Amino acid sequence: MALHHRCDHLLAAAETQLQTGAWPSMVAAAEGLIAAMLEHFRVEEEQLFPQLAEVFQAAASPIEVMCSEHAQMRALLEDLGAAVEAHDQGACTGILETLHFLVQQHNYKEETVLYPMADGALREAGVRIAAQLSAE
Amino acid sequence: MLNAAGLSLDQAPPIQVPFSFFRLAPLFALLAGAVLLWDGEVVLVSRWLAPALAVTHLLALGFLTQVMCGALFQMLPVLAGAPVPQVVWVGRVTQLTLVLGCLALSWGLYSGGRASLMLGGSLLGLGLTTFVVAVGIALTRARGVPQTLRAMRFALAGLVMALVLGLVLLAGMLGARITGLAGWVDLHLSWALLGWVGMLIIGVGYQVVPMFHVTPAYPRWFTRMAAPLVLAALVASTGLVALGKAGLAGWALLPAVLVLAAFAMVTVNLQRRRERPRVDTTLLYWWSSMGLILISAGLWVLDGPAELLGVLLLVGVGVGLPTGMLLKIMSFLSWFHLQHPQVVARRFDVRFPHMQVFMPEGLARIQFAVFTLMLVLLTLAGLSSGSPWGAYLARGGGAAVMAGALLLVWMQWGCYRTYQSISRQLG
Repeated sequence: MALHHRCDHLLAAAETQLQTGAWPSMVAAAEGLIAAMLEHFRVEEEQLFPQLAEVFQAAASPIEVMCSEHAQMRALLEDLGAAVEAHDQGACTGILETLHFLVQQHNYKEETVLYPMADGALREAGVRIAAQLSAE
Repeated sequence: MLNAAGLSLDQAPPIQVPFSFFRLAPLFALLAGAVLLWDGEVVLVSRWLAPALAVTHLLALGFLTQVMCGALFQMLPVLAGAPVPQVVWVGRVTQLTLVLGCLALSWGLYSGGRASLMLGGSLLGLGLTTFVVAVGIALTRARGVPQTLRAMRFALAGLVMALVLGLVLLAGMLGARITGLAGWVDLHLSWALLGWVGMLIIGVGYQVVPMFHVTPAYPRWFTRMAAPLVLAALVASTGLVALGKAGLAGWALLPAVLVLAAFAMVTVNLQRRRERPRVDTTLLYWWSSMGLILISAGLWVLDGPAELLGVLLLVGVGVGLPTGMLLKIMSFLSWFHLQHPQVVARRFDVRFPHMQVFMPEGLARIQFAVFTLMLVLLTLAGLSSGSPWGAYLARGGGAAVMAGALLLVWMQWGCYRTYQSISRQLG
């Protein structure tokens, strides 16, 4: 969740830079945002989601939805990269606005459904593993 | 066990469901503006006069409630993982009965026709009951932030109470004997404005204010006490009216009014600390609405003229805030639904314009300017009602209401046309 907030802050920072019209700092802010978001997707898709799917089969469908939305956001991040390179302020504003809304509704779903699910399921798995360990 | 099905993309209703509510709503503002233009000399003289009652219900039911119904059908699956059962049919029945019921009731109030009043009451009873039952079922399954859900449930209770009291008052107009009529009218108004509208603004605000502009969350002391206090005040006021103590019943609402005023102050303070720097039109509508809530709360405490309060709350907040929200919601929904086939296919080969293209900010600014003009004219009309100037100002305000509504219709039409044309290109 802290990572989500970090991405929110970075997106807002990119918008602030965009308003000042200083392209070098805008490029840096956009690069920071893109890198942070891609890294967050990677951690979820390579670590959290596979572990969750293993211990909790019912999570498969929501995980599928989350991964589709990651793909959707990756496409927008590509658009952002191109718009920043072209110094197109209008496009950057529109992409950041769209990305912001997409991220918010995506995070909301993850935070209210998937993460509590992961908390419960992975904690149960943890307790089971701990019990097995102490029995041995 | 958590319900994993809550995350299916298909749970969002088809775009036509919210859009049909959103696109029809401004036509009721247009009608309300026409009544103001036609009957400018009397509308703001007294809230008891026929044209004033017609304008009030055209705006409260035709515009405000229509937008809120469409928004709830859309928001519940997304924010609470709680799709409304049979949403397409429920949406159609709700909208058809709401629209026809509002037209019949408003005409009945305007002309005094008994048949229209009866038809309006019956249709609204049917439509709003359908809506409340369907949304109520969804809310029992809802997950998510408890304070938001609680405020939404209370808001629904507010709508039920406003409806029941409205039907009782209608029976009174049709001949039934009601003692202490003014007290019951005020109660109907209080449940509608503070219960239904106020509580929904609070519940939705908890979610969208931090989400739209990246602000800190609402403080816990506020979210814990706000909705229960509003509900308690409304219940106390109802009990006092039932006991025949109408004077005290008004003052029993003080905690609810103070909660709304506190909500306005907390909201503006949170938005002042927002991280997204841009001042967009949606934010301007939030600021104007919060300012108007504060002024209205002050006026209410000072026992200011009810007609002026009606202008500030119903036209200022009731038309303004939903308009501001529509600018964002309709753009995002258009973009989101267009993307859906690509999301399912996990291929993003076709790139199309982003959100801002659907509702251009420049047009939105002009629409906000017209809204501000309308508010100034109607406020001045409310202050000088009864004088010749009052009539001119009310007529001017009515024309501005119509211009603002037409601009909104134009923008919505543009948004839908863009959606359709891209949708066709995507095949």
